[in-house]
Amino acid sequence: MLLFLFRRLSVLIPTFLGVTLLTFGLIRMIPGDPIEVMVGERTLDPAMHAAAMHRLGLDKPLPAQYFDYLTNLLHGNFGESLITRDSVWHEFTTLFPATLELATAAMIFAVVVGLLAGVIAAIKRGSIFDHGVMGISLTGFSMPIFWWGLILIMFFSVKLGWTPVSGRLDLAYDITPRTGFMLIDSWLAERADPSANAGAFVDALKHLILPAIVLGTIPLAVIARMTRSSMLEVLREDYVRTARAKGLSPARVIFIHTLRNALIPVLTVVGLQVGTLMGGAVLTETIFSWPGIGKWLIDAIARRDYPVVQNGILIVATLIIVVNFIVDILYGIANPRIRHAK
Amino acid sequence: MANTVQTAAREDLSQTYPSPLKEFWQGFSFNKGAVAGLVFMALVLLAAVFAPLVAPHSPIEQFRDHLLTPPAWLEGGHASFLLGTDELGRDILSRLIYGARLSLLIGLSSVMMALIPGVILGLLAAFFPKVLGPMIMRLMDIMMALPSLLLAVAIVAILGPGLINTIIAIAFTALPAYVRLTRASAMTELNRDYVTASRVAGAGLIRLMFVTVLPNCMAPLIVHATMSFSSAILDAAALGFLGLGVQPPAAEWGTMLASARDYIERAWWVVTLPGLTILLSVLAINLMGDGLRDALDPKLKRAA
Amino acid sequence: MSLLTIKNLSVAFGNPANPFRAVENMDLTVNQGEIVGIVGESGSGKSVTMMALMGLIDAPGRVTADELSFDGKNLLKLSARERRKIVGKDIAMIFQDPMTSLNPSYTVGYQIMEVLKVHQGLRGAKLKQRALELMEMVEIPAAKSRLDAYPHQLSGGMSQRVVIAMAIACNPKLLIADEPTTALDVTIQAQIMDLLVNLQKSQNMALIMITHDLAVVAEMADRVAVMYAGQVAELGRVPELFRQPAHPYTEALLASIPEHSKGAERLSTLPGIVPGQYDRPSGCLLSPRCPYVQERCRAERPQLTPSANGSVRCHFPLIAQPVEIRDRKVAQ
Repeated sequence: MLLFLFRRLSVLIPTFLGVTLLTFGLIRMIPGDPIEVMVGERTLDPAMHAAAMHRLGLDKPLPAQYFDYLTNLLHGNFGESLITRDSVWHEFTTLFPATLELATAAMIFAVVVGLLAGVIAAIKRGSIFDHGVMGISLTGFSMPIFWWGLILIMFFSVKLGWTPVSGRLDLAYDITPRTGFMLIDSWLAERADPSANAGAFVDALKHLILPAIVLGTIPLAVIARMTRSSMLEVLREDYVRTARAKGLSPARVIFIHTLRNALIPVLTVVGLQVGTLMGGAVLTETIFSWPGIGKWLIDAIARRDYPVVQNGILIVATLIIVVNFIVDILYGIANPRIRHAK
Repeated sequence: MANTVQTAAREDLSQTYPSPLKEFWQGFSFNKGAVAGLVFMALVLLAAVFAPLVAPHSPIEQFRDHLLTPPAWLEGGHASFLLGTDELGRDILSRLIYGARLSLLIGLSSVMMALIPGVILGLLAAFFPKVLGPMIMRLMDIMMALPSLLLAVAIVAILGPGLINTIIAIAFTALPAYVRLTRASAMTELNRDYVTASRVAGAGLIRLMFVTVLPNCMAPLIVHATMSFSSAILDAAALGFLGLGVQPPAAEWGTMLASARDYIERAWWVVTLPGLTILLSVLAINLMGDGLRDALDPKLKRAA
Repeated sequence: MSLLTIKNLSVAFGNPANPFRAVENMDLTVNQGEIVGIVGESGSGKSVTMMALMGLIDAPGRVTADELSFDGKNLLKLSARERRKIVGKDIAMIFQDPMTSLNPSYTVGYQIMEVLKVHQGLRGAKLKQRALELMEMVEIPAAKSRLDAYPHQLSGGMSQRVVIAMAIACNPKLLIADEPTTALDVTIQAQIMDLLVNLQKSQNMALIMITHDLAVVAEMADRVAVMYAGQVAELGRVPELFRQPAHPYTEALLASIPEHSKGAERLSTLPGIVPGQYDRPSGCLLSPRCPYVQERCRAERPQLTPSANGSVRCHFPLIAQPVEIRDRKVAQ
């Protein structure tokens, strides 16, 4: 097991270095003079230009620049925003809980509904339910989620007035962030001061529900499809027949002997969805004005805030690499054949 | 005497086995969804090619007297604007038809730009498993570490928005999947006896790669190309929606939705129709992809 | 009274209007402590019959029978839940490929103990004790350390021993072995066969042995059923049936064994293949391949009728009278 961990870890570091190369190169790919691009319309005298070049370390040879970049990163220095002058790391840590809350809610929605639909569709293969699940999941898989968000807003927020249009909480509430998760914070606040914060939790929940559905739609479709096909495959295995020949109950055959093995490929897919989720967060947060990482990056791009773009992407990529690493480990735990493989 | 027996046998064979194309069509048409997808995409393709003939108006002409006209069958609709007009008085139907051109163009060219280098890199990685292979694969791992949309956003953010850059960004993000897929299927083929036989017969590297091995890796590649065609359309629309893709006034489906949020309360058709077009097109292509998989991949044939 | 009685069992697949009958009019009885061999070509319905008995035929497949009773209980009348109390406990089954018959995600110990937990309600130390005992019964060396092994860490022979341990866990009255050695190395095959026969003796189980291997049946079975195209072609006691087959198909099977053809230049074979779903003859199912075929065989399907050594499904059995009686007549 330790060897397995070590082997996976040894792949992690070069990948991380590669991503730093990518983000380092990204900023140097900007066509034209980087200072002029960053400054925008304003004109700049040559002395200030040179000073800026020096300050950003852009006057050194490329390998030295990369070395500097890497040293800074290892010291936890991710640069600062050109606009707010706040450190990129600080901005990230402030906004990340919002994205994490949204992504978690979306994933819970996707995994719970997806697994359930996939398992039932596989057991009732060929039934109307099965065809329905397959049709809906293919539609979900083909969904342009930014449009899906607009449609849901149009129906539930504008037409029915059930859910708010944007943000995480009604402006009337003033809640101090403790965990960064609005659901938990609002619940704590409501308990601490029921009169001032009445209904804060429900309000936070209402804000969360549509974005979570939108963000969870594609993972849901993928998980449902994968669960179904994986279940069907495992149900054909000899050892499922053995389990039935042992006189086990159908529930035991399905949940202990089939689902466990069928989950192995599904788990990989769930892990891969973390990347999709981050991509989807960019769109979802834009539609719902959700103050998270996705919206932060898009805003930074719009404002040509290059340090934020560069290192924001680096942090997100590192995050995804780490999550995939964890999924790999879980995969090893779930599948003894991998764990024992040389 | 012996001759006639031989010809008889040969005729028999040709009668028993249908031609590959016919067999493919039998497999494909077995899947009703795939046929529906094919028909829909054929219509979209026709509309795109003959856009100037089919579209009732120019996609960028602004009818100032008809801002936000509802579709023709609704109250206040106008017969000459079948699906209504947008906030600048442009005919939505015409914009959707011209938008098909852009979406298909982006899809097709980004698939080509990812497929060709992807196949070459994948074959190289499979044929040189010692040094070059792992290097290529590690590089692909890095590219895959970023979600495709985020990477595309980053690339477009650097290169600047526009049609060409959208295509480049999407092709770039699609590349690793092709490399992995080609390498994986080439690796399995490389262990087969026919490759050894060809090698023993003195086939050169290029011949081995492209004539011996590649044709046997085509089935998964074609299926994947279909799927990545649809995701290219989706990603292009997403970029357009974020204001980073094809720039207005060009009629791109995603770009059409960029400003639609403001009309959510007043003009549902401005919001609904472009997205529905994207959804239906992507769905149609994915249905075709499923059908292709059924028809091309004998292992999965009728399995699911 | 026999332990297992199967009367007129049919298993059909496909659409009800034009079904494919994998098993048709199957009759078989098995007595307590008896070894019955079932032989036949691939696709002759041997395994499907046993799957039907175990209740493992799923929805599109349909099982019908005049009688399907085990140990005095009518299996057709039992609810699924009641039937599961018998399956795996009193009737157990061993499958062809041990490498795929064990769940790769669970340890060997877990899979053996699962049967004991479900059927006998054993828990804790007793449970582990019994599992170890079973593993020793099937002669797994170092049983204690093997309890925590995963199936992929065991060889094929070892895995089959585990499967056997699971099958005999609750002292079944009937053990069905579906080609238990086909997937194993030749050297292991004999070991597993010996193990099965020894267990059958020591546990006093009835054993149904499905196999292609006539030699195995000749050596260990008390009675044998020869199946062809989903039907029993011939049924009888072992030494007699092999000495003087009544059915042309049995004769052909025996003739294809090298030992029976000493001196002949080529092994005898039966030309043609088992009829499939669409080319079943209206008469005797063997008629297209039978060397003794006559007009009546093509027109009329024969029934299973008593024969010299048991029963046979043939209009013109190769021996009309029981062996001993004919001998006696000569003597008179």
